[in-house]
Amino acid sequence: MELFTPEFGLVFWMFVAFAILFVVLAKWGWPAIMKSVDDRADLIDKGVEYAQSAKEQLDNARQEAQKYIDEARKQQAEILREADRMKTEIIEEARSAASKEAQKVMDAAKVSIEQERKEARQQFRDEVSSFALDIATKVVRGQMADTKAQTKLVDSLLDEMETNN
Amino acid sequence: MKRTILFLTLLMAMLIPVAPSLTAAEADVEATVQEDEVTSRSEEKKIDPKEIIFEHLGDGYGWEVPFSHELRIPLPVIVRDYQGRWHCFSSSRIGHGQSYTVTDPDGDEMTFRLGGHDSDWHNKLIGLRPELVDGQTQMVEYRPVDLSITKNVCAIFIACILVMWMVLSVAAWYRKQGYKAPRRMHGAIEAVIEFVYYGVIKPTLGAKSRKFGPYLLTVFFFILVANLLGLIVIFPGGANITGNIAVTLVLSLITFLIVNIFGTKHYWKEVFWPDVPLWLKFPIPIMPVIELFGVFTKPAALTVRLFANMMGGHIIVIVLTLLIFILGAMGAAALGGTLVISILFSVFMLLIDVLVSFIQAYVFTMLSTVFIGLAQEEGHHDKHDTDESPAKA
Repeated sequence: MELFTPEFGLVFWMFVAFAILFVVLAKWGWPAIMKSVDDRADLIDKGVEYAQSAKEQLDNARQEAQKYIDEARKQQAEILREADRMKTEIIEEARSAASKEAQKVMDAAKVSIEQERKEARQQFRDEVSSFALDIATKVVRGQMADTKAQTKLVDSLLDEMETNN
Repeated sequence: MKRTILFLTLLMAMLIPVAPSLTAAEADVEATVQEDEVTSRSEEKKIDPKEIIFEHLGDGYGWEVPFSHELRIPLPVIVRDYQGRWHCFSSSRIGHGQSYTVTDPDGDEMTFRLGGHDSDWHNKLIGLRPELVDGQTQMVEYRPVDLSITKNVCAIFIACILVMWMVLSVAAWYRKQGYKAPRRMHGAIEAVIEFVYYGVIKPTLGAKSRKFGPYLLTVFFFILVANLLGLIVIFPGGANITGNIAVTLVLSLITFLIVNIFGTKHYWKEVFWPDVPLWLKFPIPIMPVIELFGVFTKPAALTVRLFANMMGGHIIVIVLTLLIFILGAMGAAALGGTLVISILFSVFMLLIDVLVSFIQAYVFTMLSTVFIGLAQEEGHHDKHDTDESPAKA
């Protein structure tokens, strides 16, 4: 039964050796290892988390970018349409302004032509009348040379006035 | 496939050193049997399975050398004689039945030798001291205080140095490399560390794993290395350390001390005033006695479990190897048959022992963790709450 009775020397040395082993490892071995292993596990966890969030952010950013691009495209289209509209408007406006101006110029020209014509006519008339008067004067002078004729004219004029009244 | 073959050949190679010493003995047996004259010698040299098994399982004052039955690596013997003086000498001085005598400064002669077959201390170091028996002075054997560096003690030192080197090299690697993943040997050791630390210690102890982790990891690695060294037959291994009750006793004693020294109030309350109906604990403290008994049976179970498992594994392998020589005496056919079968079986058993080495280290660590964890529990309910719970139960 030698196997079942612990030998004192062995117990003593086992205790001493194990105590030394434990003290050495507890001081310089395990804390460093446990800390590193824990820290590394944390680091890996954090890394995975970070990668996930980064991926999410990237996806979000991509979506956002797509949204911006879409919006920009829409805006571009709108701006282009607006520009087009504005262009036609401006052209239209310019055209109408030009035609109005032309009308105005034409009207002014017409007015001045009319004026000119009126003036010319007046002048012509004045001249014609003065010529006629001259001619008439000359004719009357020739016809009204005797008194008889003059009296006859006065009588006729008086008759006229009487009938009128 | 290649690796398995290599592994098997290695195992075979490990077995070989056991065989020659036995074959030598057996050859002697045959020779002496033919001679017939020296019958007394043949009696001595006959294969004694019990003797061989105990020699391989037990401790010794020297370390066997492969391929030699006689040579031993000498180890220091440290003893304290009956007068309280310490002596230190080489174990080679007491080999082969020699006695070692040293003269004290007082002029007394101190004689030491190994106990013989008829001695109370067979194969242990004994001293002789004069004693008066029936009016005559006779030299009587006594067992001195023996702190020799025996084979097992030396093997414990080797295991400790190996564990220290393994763990410190990993720690140094971490200090140097930071958070990088270790490769090769460091990676393998770290895988085992993580297996124990994250598989057993952390889930059980939680926040306290930093406090008790060093002890539990040290125990695990010490047992694992000691177990595996025990499976190697030649010099650095071959000692049956964890299959020795003294070693497992010390280990479980330390677990016992840690459990009870760091035990919380709740743990002691559970021992002396557990949550059971009042009649189970008041006039006759049945449950407290059982619980108190449990406090001591837990480390006892730890001691015996590791010791018996490792010793059993060693015994089976040795017995299977011995079968070759026991049955071999019957003739060539029996020898051939048992040779093949025994070797196949012992290789198989050794492979299982590799597994058992790991499992037993794991089990010891796991149970220590659980015992420490149970003693670390804080009460989840208040005092008046516990007083009512027995009624509900």
